[in-house]
Amino acid sequence: MRWLIRRVLKKGKGSISYEDDIHFGEILTIGRAADQAIFLPDLRAALNHASVTALGNGQYRVESLIVAGIRVNGELTYTKAVGTGAVIELGSTRLTLLDARGEFDAAVEVSTIDKSEQAAIRSSRSKPTSLDQTWIAKRWPSWTGFILVLALGLILPASTHVIPGFNTVLRYSPLPSTSFWNPGEVDAAHRFFATDCKRCHQHAFLMVRDNACTSCHVKTKAHADPARFNIPELGDARCGTCHQDHNGERGMVSRKQSLCSDCHSDLKSRTAGASQIADISDFGKAHPEFHINLPGWAANGEFMPKSMTWTASLKENSGLKFNHEKHLKADGLNTPNGRKTLTCANCHLPDAAGAAMQPIAFESMCHECHQLGFDTLAPGREVPHADVAAVTYTLDEFYARRGLEGGYADARAPTIVQERRRPGSPPMSRQEQVEALSWARDRAREAARTLFTGKACVTCHSISPPSGESDWNVAPVRVSGIWYADARFSHARHETMKCADCHAGAERSQASNDLLIPGIDNCRQCHAGAHASDKVASTCIACHAYHQSKTLTLDKPGAN
Amino acid sequence: MHDSILTYAKSRYLWISIVLCVVSIALYVWHDPAVAPNGGTWLGYTLGTIAALLIVWLMLFGIRKRSYATNMGTTRGWLSAHIYLGTSLILITLLHCGFQFGWNLHTFALVLMLIVIFSGFFGVYAYLRYPTLMTRNRESATRDAMLEEIGEIDQNALNLADGIAPEIHAVVLRSIENTKLGGGVMTQLRARDGSDIAIAKIRSAMEQRETQLGAAPAPMQAGQTMLLMVDFLAGRADDKQAEALRKLIDMLSRKRSLATRVARDIQYQAIMEIWLYIHVPLSVTLLAALIGHIVSVFFYW
Repeated sequence: MRWLIRRVLKKGKGSISYEDDIHFGEILTIGRAADQAIFLPDLRAALNHASVTALGNGQYRVESLIVAGIRVNGELTYTKAVGTGAVIELGSTRLTLLDARGEFDAAVEVSTIDKSEQAAIRSSRSKPTSLDQTWIAKRWPSWTGFILVLALGLILPASTHVIPGFNTVLRYSPLPSTSFWNPGEVDAAHRFFATDCKRCHQHAFLMVRDNACTSCHVKTKAHADPARFNIPELGDARCGTCHQDHNGERGMVSRKQSLCSDCHSDLKSRTAGASQIADISDFGKAHPEFHINLPGWAANGEFMPKSMTWTASLKENSGLKFNHEKHLKADGLNTPNGRKTLTCANCHLPDAAGAAMQPIAFESMCHECHQLGFDTLAPGREVPHADVAAVTYTLDEFYARRGLEGGYADARAPTIVQERRRPGSPPMSRQEQVEALSWARDRAREAARTLFTGKACVTCHSISPPSGESDWNVAPVRVSGIWYADARFSHARHETMKCADCHAGAERSQASNDLLIPGIDNCRQCHAGAHASDKVASTCIACHAYHQSKTLTLDKPGAN
Repeated sequence: MHDSILTYAKSRYLWISIVLCVVSIALYVWHDPAVAPNGGTWLGYTLGTIAALLIVWLMLFGIRKRSYATNMGTTRGWLSAHIYLGTSLILITLLHCGFQFGWNLHTFALVLMLIVIFSGFFGVYAYLRYPTLMTRNRESATRDAMLEEIGEIDQNALNLADGIAPEIHAVVLRSIENTKLGGGVMTQLRARDGSDIAIAKIRSAMEQRETQLGAAPAPMQAGQTMLLMVDFLAGRADDKQAEALRKLIDMLSRKRSLATRVARDIQYQAIMEIWLYIHVPLSVTLLAALIGHIVSVFFYW
């Protein structure tokens, strides 16, 4: 086998000459020893550094003969099969394996690597020694992060505002939708449309308009008429001033005392006298005495409660005569059903909501003892309650029948009424009928008088006798029902209290005009303002409502 | 007294930041909004505006750092302010959001900001600690000088090794090939110099052999062939060869210590720089998140 060894000689100024040599044998040895086929006088080469075996057809195998290895095609290796064109570098020498031609079976070109090229190779092979030479960088990650966050965090969600339906697409994709903007969960009641931002945020870059609220919350009452009370806070207030959503389970109702006290602490001067409501800023410290609704009637008889400032000596006129002390005797009362001890709850029952008390009902509460019988000969018969006309009808009809039937065992009655008529006896003569009905009429009137003025109605009611056209008159009976007109009180929320804790003195009250409804001092035993330290901290809306106007609604301010 | 970036100008910016924080806390405590504290109250908007302006100003430090011809204060002053005002940003933003967090753009911006700030804390730590270590490690040489010396040692070692035996020459050649300073990010940070560990082993094997003559050779794992070779060589070598071998080993040890120092130099420099690869890109990303945060908040006001 013949190797062609071609040495490239540089002769300055870029001119090159070649010097060919022939080597016999399959293996071409490379090293610093004198017996090497390619002798390299370079300390970086070992004596027997490497060998190249020609495999024919332009194929070679390069083998390193020492532990340091040999660099083939820029890669340090021990054994490598290569084709023509492969470059072996050793120190300052470069060997290029060539395609064999003519009489040669293998060929190699030997050239020297000059100093500047060696330095270039060394620096290209040297590893990075500072971070800016490695793959990590600051510039492209900065741009990537900036553009990515701007695109996904801002532009994509914002585009849903102008592209209909796009937000739904985004919400079902892994990409961020407007929910990525959501600063907090919306109020529980608003969740059914929470995914549709535009339901409230109708216009970009504009605060939520009130009509976004009132489109659902129709007929929400206003607070006061801004046209009447010139308060900027009232006129400028949006729904969102007090009701901010996206606060999750905290809800949207503000319970802050300052919400009211900011204006109400000095309302007269703030409204330039338009409002005469007393100054209020704190339930514990600056709240006027309660106003109580007392029963009252207009001239036409219509119920019209009178609002009065509570005082200890205030009397109510419900029209009823009632003695609490007699009914609440500790040792009980004699009743048709035995001895019974009454408590408040026998008559005062909470209504379905638990807030107020049900009206007192004669039939279920009084009637067991206060029966409306009128004739000892017929103890089971009673007149109906609360209907004067029905009372007289009942009595007229009862005694007319007794008179015509006869057999009424009263010595004062005429004989024809006392006589029992047997079957087959002759009918009453016209004279006898007149006599019997005359008795009946008198008897009914007497019974009525006894009921109204003697033993029944007058016990509880004020009665005036019939005069001229009018019948017996029973004065109207009515308590106000809602005692605190402008505040909410709930018995249900005070269940842990005893009745007497607030309605003190009820068990000793002998007159029905005793006002057993407490004033503010009673509430202040337990309640104080927002900053209370040793009492129930109660802000204004514990009892009062903001949306309380009786005439104005928010959807159409100024309209009824 | 040399004052560090932390005590620059009698810690002027520390005091400014403390005042800023104390005022913010006082306002937050005093402020009693109708709803839970959030970015939408007047204090929320105020703190948010301060925070946003601070972020933009803190980012301007990257520009200020590069502009050498400026009369807008010293870079050291800017850095001191950058650190302290950047730290106060944590408090201001937390007060701004009223400690409300969620899976949204707003908290994302906050988290980005916190990562940027805490990476900055690492930077402060690195800048206070590593320059001293770096100076001490270099022993008043430069990295280039050390690299040059390594190159010279390589040359001399080859010369010397050639005079001993071809096997030793090959070992030294391999050692030169294996000495790779620098490398990827993790290599730089871990201070791997890649120089032939076997050299230390050769030395210890030599010493062991001298102290425990006749004793059984210690169990060998890595670089076994080489150790056997050294063992064999040292056994048959004459005094002159042994002397040259010892000299060679000393030379290679010197090279190894140099390589270790260069690797450590690279490591210190990498540590001082690596946090910037988080700090800078994330602060630019934060700027986008901040723009998104502000625009989105007013988009759906």
